[in-house]
Amino acid sequence: MVTAILVTVASLVLLSFIQPSTPEPYQLNYPAYFGSRFTIPEDNPMTREGVQLGRMLFYETRLSKNNQFSCASCHQQKFAFTDGSSFSTGIDGTPTKRSAMSLANLLWVNNFFWDGRAGSLEAQAVVPLTDAHEMGQPLGESVVKLKKTANYTALFKNAFGTSEISEDRILKAIAQFERTLISANARYDRYLNGQPVLSEQELRGMTLFMTNPLPAKNIRGAECGRCHGGPKIFQELFHNNGLDKEPKDVGRMEVSGQEIDRGRFRVPTLRNIALTSPYMHDGRFNTLDDVLNHYSEHIQQSESLSPFLAEASNEVDGKGLLLRSDEKKDIIAFLKTLTDSTFISSPEFSNPRK
Amino acid sequence: MRNPLHTIAISLLLSIPSASSQAQNQDKPFFTVEGEVLRPLKLTQDGLYKLRQTEVKAKDREGMEHTFKGVRLVDILDSAGVTLGKDLRGENLVKYVVVRAVDGYEVIFSLPEVDPEFSGQTIILAYEVDGKPLPKGEGPFRIVAPNDKRQARWIRQLTSIKVMFSK
Repeated sequence: MVTAILVTVASLVLLSFIQPSTPEPYQLNYPAYFGSRFTIPEDNPMTREGVQLGRMLFYETRLSKNNQFSCASCHQQKFAFTDGSSFSTGIDGTPTKRSAMSLANLLWVNNFFWDGRAGSLEAQAVVPLTDAHEMGQPLGESVVKLKKTANYTALFKNAFGTSEISEDRILKAIAQFERTLISANARYDRYLNGQPVLSEQELRGMTLFMTNPLPAKNIRGAECGRCHGGPKIFQELFHNNGLDKEPKDVGRMEVSGQEIDRGRFRVPTLRNIALTSPYMHDGRFNTLDDVLNHYSEHIQQSESLSPFLAEASNEVDGKGLLLRSDEKKDIIAFLKTLTDSTFISSPEFSNPRK
Repeated sequence: MRNPLHTIAISLLLSIPSASSQAQNQDKPFFTVEGEVLRPLKLTQDGLYKLRQTEVKAKDREGMEHTFKGVRLVDILDSAGVTLGKDLRGENLVKYVVVRAVDGYEVIFSLPEVDPEFSGQTIILAYEVDGKPLPKGEGPFRIVAPNDKRQARWIRQLTSIKVMFSK
């Protein structure tokens, strides 16, 4: 009897090694008002097991040269997956060129990094993993380390059907996990779902945020929604937002070679913006007040300045938005309604080893 | 003595207009025409001059009328070999045109909407307004769709036109 059971167990264990397992499709969950304008690469369908492996890898310090850094070092859940610094410090102790971005609702992003140079999350992930100033380890080395680490063979098998650990699969699994980082449970979402949760001040701020100013008709607004609009508070756009007359970092021009892209950077999502200071590609602004003051009074004119920012003002022929201080406070009150406390506390996104 | 093969290669190169115009126009602003086309194009303003010029009158956001000069979108698509006119039938009726600006902003027109055999409006890719080049921030190329009540599709700083199949 005991022998029979042992044989059965042994053969089951053996079978599980021989037979390819079939991962279970991952069900994405997002509000209808986000829309489904996204593409998941055909060669990397999302599965529960793939996402689980990706989460392990996202928090895996063995993917760095000195075994001390993981993706989560610079993308911490409590900061909506950024790190609270202007620049981040990698394995060699030097600061990164640009500020770590918050990772939220990446499913709806097509071009990654501040300059949009990577065409997929898979292509993005390889850069911080291997960059000498970030995690600094060739993917081949990561494969070797993971092969020596308990459980990974089984995790890769569960995720991809066979137990091969490869460079490609590391990137694919991380990308799968990142696609699940959906933030759609802020107070603003309850408002979008028809609940009267926003205060008078927050509603005033929302109206200013979404309205384009027309001083000749006495219409006041901050025109934020032109670029940060829609329920996702994100559109995939790239603009020179008037930080510098002569930007030290030329941004997207490095990618395109075109003068019109000088100082042009991603317009980021504003979801969880109260958690993701400091702001801008170089983290130059510590507070939302600094950001509002910039758009209101300190836009730097240049050839490649966004035409929308060059034109938008609450005064006839004004330069900059020229908002009143009470209006800035209202807008900041609205921005705080975009904070999603479940996103930063969800166990699904947290370190699986803790 | 020049290598005769070399000479032939050079004259061949010169006889291909796209190759030579690309070489001399490397720094000039351009836009691309791609997707469901027979001939992908990379057009500068000089390239547009070779197509039929059109003027349309249209009111701007403030209600002021202006004269925009450019090339009909249908003529640009036709020069790239897009299914228009008698070929705009059957499955080609589910094609659409994605127009993209330098900042990533995108709008679409259905292909029939662009074809004068279907549509009542002349959509142009403009490069001049009231006899002057489009101002900074609008040009060098923008769409003017005179009958649109809102101007959200008058896309500025246009960089690409892509013909797609709705699937």
